Formats: sequence, structure tokens, C-alpha cells
Amino acid sequence: MTGLGWGVKSLGRHPLRTALSLAGIAVASAMLLDMVMLSGGIEKSFSDLLLARGYQIRLTPKGTLPFDTEASIGGASHAVRTIRADSGVEAAGAVLGTSIYGRAHDSLVTLFGYGIQPEAQGIYQVTAGADLAPGDTLGVLLSETAAQLLGAAPGDTVTLVGRLDPQMADAAVGRRLAVRGEVRWIYDYRGQPSVGTVLPVMQRLGRDAAEDRASLLLVKVADGAAVEDVAARLRERFPHLEVSSVADLVVQAKRRLVYFTQLSYVLGGMSLIVAVLLVGTLLTITVNERLGEIATLRAIGVSRGTIVRQVFAEGTALTVLGAGFGIVLGLATAEYLDAILTSFPGLPASFSFFVPRADTLGLAALVLLVTGSLAGLYPAWLASRAPIAATLRAEAT
Amino acid sequence: MISALCLTLALVQATEPPHPSTGIAIERAVAEQLDLGVGDTVRLGAAPESLPHLAVVSAIYEPRPDPAEVSRRSLRVRLHLPDLAAVLGAPDRVDRFGVGLLPGVTPDSAAAVLNRSAFGFRAHPSATIASESSQTFKVVSRFHRAIAVITIVASAVFLLCIMLLKVEERRLDAAVMRFVGVRRRTIFGALVLEAALIAVLGSALGAGLAFLAGAATNAYYREFFDTELIFSLITPRIVLFSVCLSLLLGVAAGALAAWRLVRTRPMALWGRA
Repeated sequence: MTGLGWGVKSLGRHPLRTALSLAGIAVASAMLLDMVMLSGGIEKSFSDLLLARGYQIRLTPKGTLPFDTEASIGGASHAVRTIRADSGVEAAGAVLGTSIYGRAHDSLVTLFGYGIQPEAQGIYQVTAGADLAPGDTLGVLLSETAAQLLGAAPGDTVTLVGRLDPQMADAAVGRRLAVRGEVRWIYDYRGQPSVGTVLPVMQRLGRDAAEDRASLLLVKVADGAAVEDVAARLRERFPHLEVSSVADLVVQAKRRLVYFTQLSYVLGGMSLIVAVLLVGTLLTITVNERLGEIATLRAIGVSRGTIVRQVFAEGTALTVLGAGFGIVLGLATAEYLDAILTSFPGLPASFSFFVPRADTLGLAALVLLVTGSLAGLYPAWLASRAPIAATLRAEAT
Repeated sequence: MISALCLTLALVQATEPPHPSTGIAIERAVAEQLDLGVGDTVRLGAAPESLPHLAVVSAIYEPRPDPAEVSRRSLRVRLHLPDLAAVLGAPDRVDRFGVGLLPGVTPDSAAAVLNRSAFGFRAHPSATIASESSQTFKVVSRFHRAIAVITIVASAVFLLCIMLLKVEERRLDAAVMRFVGVRRRTIFGALVLEAALIAVLGSALGAGLAFLAGAATNAYYREFFDTELIFSLITPRIVLFSVCLSLLLGVAAGALAAWRLVRTRPMALWGRA
């Protein structure tokens, strides 16, 4: 019989004990899997989110992150023209984010307004109707929630107002716009009522258009150009702006969510320890119980190496079986935990904390398999060192 | 009146004498990062390329620990409202007002009265704002609870397994006791008692480890985030809950294993069945 076959048969002798051990290893493996997904998920998800439309560089007011404060960049159109002139830039566009209002029947609803340059936009995907054409000052794009709040669909007309004056009880500016399409704003949180117009229209609705302000500038690097080289040139060209590549922004996001990353390391480590303790304890007691059997095997000529391999095989079988159940359990719990964490207020709806990555999952599986197997080291040593004559004599009495 | 204009302020040290009326209070982290002290002069502006205002550091303050801000690490300064409005070029504008009510007036009714005539603003009772702004912590709390449930399940299975193995180690002892006439009930009771003792000792050790881990967690994160916030708080209620739970699980596991043991024939326990 092979070592693995012997190990599996040995586990079958004590079904309750084995079942409990497998359950313990499965829960520990599930936790380990979840924590591995959490540790790498933030980075992967955020990076995917930022690269959703292929724009690799963001320019924001100095010392800020995109949409982190109400600070804005003046002279946006000139800055965009300058950026587009760089040979390494394929596309560049400005985005303004501001609070505006929409008229729905007799009341006003608060909306988040995006001012965009449709020819170079990296913040939405059209889901129904048509996109805005460059320079379309009469059109507007709505998110699903905004469309519901305003009771509008592509082809309808909506009224947007801005700069409300409580003393005059009136809006300083208002525009009637035709709904061109419904879009999914990539960085919106769940249920955010957002609308988008071309940049000059939103600048007028939100604040003084004379300053030509934008919240951030997006840059897509041309094929063949290095992102960091272009970012370095832009830093030199715009010393008063924060120039961040996706890698820089991922670092910032990780810094803010460092608690979850560290928690994942601690809990992942503890899960590994629990799995190792379970395998080690079970094998140690099993070996102690079977010392007589092991001594008999040794007495009839079975080598120490074979005994060690058999104990190792038992530990490996336990780990592999337990981890198999753990993967199923871990994927289910990851979905549940992700649903909790993604309910953070203000988090983009498409952001995910628990993201399976082949490399990290492979590494976790390897670590679990190796440590689970190594947990059998001490019991295997015990088994191989059992004194044959003394053990057989003790068994006979 | 409260002003919370959340625009970025650019701030650099200056050498020119400031306008005598412009004072600024800076938090300790700003003072440390920019090597500023009381009496130093700084330039202020709404954008790095434009810093036209001079101000004198009149105070350095320690901000109240705020969990909502701990990971953002924003650097803050305080100015009198007219000074800030002048720096931002937004005279007579504020983000919000704080309203103190007369005794007997409820916040809900006052907010309702204000909202009836509101245009361009909305009144919220402080409790509503507190509830909304604590959503982040409610989510974190739910996450912690979910993790705790998984940990408890893992611990329960681990405890069951260990207890089962521990009791099964006593097969020969149980066999001998049965041979000499000790009743099954006595053996069962002895094994359950042993399981309970192990659970209590394990719980005490676990509580000690938890206190150490909590102290290490607090020390690490306080240093990491430069704050006085408490990150790990082990209350008597939590200790009591943990000890009771582990005792319950330990006794249940011991009882299950002991029940299986006393139902087995003595010769089988002796290994001669």
C-alpha cells in the first residue's frame, strides 16, 4: 500500500475525529483564503478601477487626491491643451465635480454634477442612449439613480440649476438640457444621483466659469511611452499640481486601508497556526495510539523512512482534504464579507475588497500544504523513534 | 457659527512681517512637519501657486482624536472665519451653521420648522448627522462581528477536536475503572469535570493572551497613526462572554467524547475486543 493510501485508511479508522479535524482545517483554510484575498484585493480592485478606461495619470490640486477635497485646478482648458501637446500623451481631459440640483416636479433634488470633455473622458460608460458629442452644450448624461429621481429617460428634457441663493430663494443659474444617454459613472457609490454635461456647462452651473476650474485632469499615455516618464515630465511642467500615476494612487489607497491589509496578515497567520496545530495534534495522538502497530511494522522489516512517509502522507491528506472544503467555504464567506465592507459610505460601487488572484491564492495554497505537511514532522519523528522491543512488550501486557 | 470650509490651504513659511490681525492655530502634526513654532510667520493661499496672505502662528493645538480622520492624516489649521473667508476669496460664505436651541425645543421640531422655509440649505438634528457620519464605523463593526463569528466557529471546532482527542487518550484509564467496578456515571462525570477544568485554564490563558495582544495592538496603531485613540478594548463583558463560551463548548465537547467512551465496552477500550 502507498503512503497516501495508508494515510487515508488510517484517517478512516476514526471518522468523528477525522471529520472534526477536517472541519477545523476547512474553517482555518477558509479564513486564510479570505485574508489572502483581502490582502491583495484592495490593490487589484483599486488598480482595475483606475484603469477602467485606460487613463494612467491623474493631475489634481497639490497635496490632494482625486475628489478628496473641494480644491480645484484653475485654467483647466489651457492645462489640458499643454498636456495633449506632449508626445507621450494619447488623450487628456478635464473633469469637474460639483454639487448641483435638478427640478423634479415642484421640488429640487440634490445631484452630483460631472463636467467632462467627451472626447477624452475616463469616468463613465454609456449604458443606454448616446454619448455626449464634444461641445454639446445642450445635452446631459444621467446615472440610473438620477434618471429615476428626475423621472427622465434618453430623449427627455430636464432642468438643472446651480448656486442656490437662500436669501433670494432662487437659483443663480439654470439650464434646460436634453438627456442624451444613461451612463454608469465608474467612481460613483451605490445609488449616487449623478449627471454629466460638457465642462463649460457644469462650470457655469457649479461655480464661476470665468476661472475655468476642474477637479482633476486625466491623462492616457500613448502606446510605447512609459507612464512614469510622462508623469515625470508633467511634474516638471506643472509643479503646482499633484501628478499621480495609478501606482502612486494605489499606494495612497493602501495607506488609507492599511488597517484591513494588516488585519488580513494577522488573521491569515492565525488561521495557518490553527491548521498546523490541528494537524500536528491529531497526528501526534494518532501515532501515540498506534505505536504498537508501528513497532510491529518495524519488526517485520518496514524501514523508518517508510513510516515517516506514511505519517507525512496522513498529514498531507488531512491538509489537502480540509483545504478543499475550505476553498468552497472561503469563497462563500468572502462574498458575505465583501458585501459588508463594500457598504462603506462613499466607496465606488464597483470596488471590491476580496478579489481572487491566481498568484496570491497559489502561494497561500502552497504555504498551507507545506506547513500542514510539516506539522506531521514531530509525530513522524516520534513514530520513527519508537523502540521496537519495548513497545511490543508493552503492547503484549 | 461654525465654519468648515474644506478647501485645501497651501501653507509655507514666510519671512515678511504679517498683518497684525491675522492669527492662525496649527495642529501639532503641522508644527512638527513644517518645523513651526508660536510666533512664526506663514504664507497662506487657496492654491500653491498663489499664497498672498501672511499669518502668525498664535497657537499650536493637539486635535481631539477622531477615528474618522485617523487614516486620512489630514493636516489642519484653524483661522477666524473672516480670515479664512478672505484667504479663500469666499466672503460671507460658510459650509454649515450650528444652532443652539432654547430649553424645551426639540431638535426634530426645530429642523422641521427650518426645512419648511429652506431654500439652498437643509437643517439636520445633530443626532441624525452623528448617525450618518458613524456609518463607516457601523460597517467596520459589522465586519468585525462577521470575523468574530468565523473565529468562534473555528475555535469551537478546534476545541471539540482537542477535547475529543484528550478524552480518547483516557481509554485505558476508563477501561481499568470499568474493570474495577467504577460506574459509568462516575467516569462520565470525571471526564466532563476534567474537560471543564481544561476549558477554564485555557480560557484564563486565552484572556491573558488577549490582554497582551490588545496592548500590543494599541501600542502599534497609536504609534502608527500618531493618535491617542484606543484600537483594542477588552471589557469585562467580553472576557466573561469568552470564558463562558469556551467553558460551554469545552464541557459540551468533553461530554460528547465522554459519552462515546462510557458507551464502549471495557474490553474494546482495553483494545482486546
